[in-house]
Amino acid sequence: MKELMRNVYLKDGLLVTKSRYGSHYGEKVFDGFREWIPWRSKLAAMILKGHRLRLKGDEKVLYLGAASGTTVSHLADIVDEGVIYAVEYAAKPFEKLLELARERENIIPLLFDASKPWKYSGIVEKVDLIYQDIAQKNQIEILESNAEFFLKAEGEVIIMVKARSIDSTADPEFVFESVLREIGGKFEILNHGSLMPYHKDHIFIHARMS
Amino acid sequence: MRYNLWFGTYDGKDVEVSENFEDSFLRAENPSPLPFNIFELGSQVLGESYYRILRKTALKVSEKQIERELKREDRYVVALVKALEEIDEATNMLSEKLEDIKAVKESDITESFEDKIRNLKELRKEIEREIEEVMKKIAPNMTELAGAKVAAKLLERAGSMEKLVRFPASKIQVIGAEKSLYKAFSRMKKGKKAKVPKHGIIFLHPFIRTLPKSKRGKMARFLAAKLAIAAKIDYFRGEVDESLYESIVKRYEELRRK
Repeated sequence: MKELMRNVYLKDGLLVTKSRYGSHYGEKVFDGFREWIPWRSKLAAMILKGHRLRLKGDEKVLYLGAASGTTVSHLADIVDEGVIYAVEYAAKPFEKLLELARERENIIPLLFDASKPWKYSGIVEKVDLIYQDIAQKNQIEILESNAEFFLKAEGEVIIMVKARSIDSTADPEFVFESVLREIGGKFEILNHGSLMPYHKDHIFIHARMS
Repeated sequence: MRYNLWFGTYDGKDVEVSENFEDSFLRAENPSPLPFNIFELGSQVLGESYYRILRKTALKVSEKQIERELKREDRYVVALVKALEEIDEATNMLSEKLEDIKAVKESDITESFEDKIRNLKELRKEIEREIEEVMKKIAPNMTELAGAKVAAKLLERAGSMEKLVRFPASKIQVIGAEKSLYKAFSRMKKGKKAKVPKHGIIFLHPFIRTLPKSKRGKMARFLAAKLAIAAKIDYFRGEVDESLYESIVKRYEELRRK
């Protein structure tokens, strides 16, 4: 068993997180570990593609686009001594996210529109990391306004970009270049890369406030 | 400057602690980033249980919000049922035109016509599946009693779950047969003999359709009564009550044997 990150291991070729909780989205659970399926979670794909995050476990995280909590559940295993503010606007997936939040003490569920950070500005504290996976045309704008409200001076961001949701007609490579340029204007880009073969036409970008 | 925080308001010096955290949670709006650390300020007021109270409040508020949101799904079903009816009309109209064209000449255009009609039929199936899924969630008892199709049509005629739960059973029994119902009423007013309809949309239910004519009225009355109860359970409680379905099966068997 190989440790890749805090509470993240490679066990017999499977990516797993150390967890004392049960299955949330149909993943396998075995003696204190939960399988982390890269086809379901872009963060898992990013880690398997070789990019690691240096997390101590007590970080404060703002998660935009929490959906039904697939990735949130694993992130909650990793920052087990921290807090995750999980923002999701759609009621249906939020129901499932609520189930997760009820059993995990480090998740605060927020049914808010991530494009209006002022609406939850009196709830969320300054965070170490903003994670964004919202597949919307103006997702960079949304990231920037949330960073302005909630990101610590040295804070970092991880953003998952789907080429098709930014511009469905343009060549993905071209879309990624323009997104990287846009983010590069406000942040210092630490790393980026494709999520193939787990997620087609997706890239991750890891950046720091500059 | 007054800051709106989830646990109260802050004027830069003192915190006025909210009497109801759920209310202040939803009012925690500020035009620009807070120039202070909300966790530190909150801990002065709430102590070590800051995160525990925050999480509890967030859970409570979002549970309520979700409940309200999901209740709005009835409007979605209403829109879907209307769309379904339009699609049926369009499909029929197109099929007629296609026959007209075919009668005159077999051409390439008839193929693309057939394609479009097939697409519409597929869309129809998709919408039906979606209606079924949502109906199971928002009206599980009605769906079990009458099937998603009939239940959704009743909901569409009523306009919303809120209105449907206020309908008496006698109204549910004749929804969809308004024309003949009012015709009968106006005849009665004039002192003439009149036939009041026994069933509207619920006639589509196999338990009514498959009975001999003389027994359909009894079954319709019974089914409508149970549907009226089912709608109320769905709207106010949301849990499935199996005894309702058992009772209509029993009544159906009785009427069939007699």
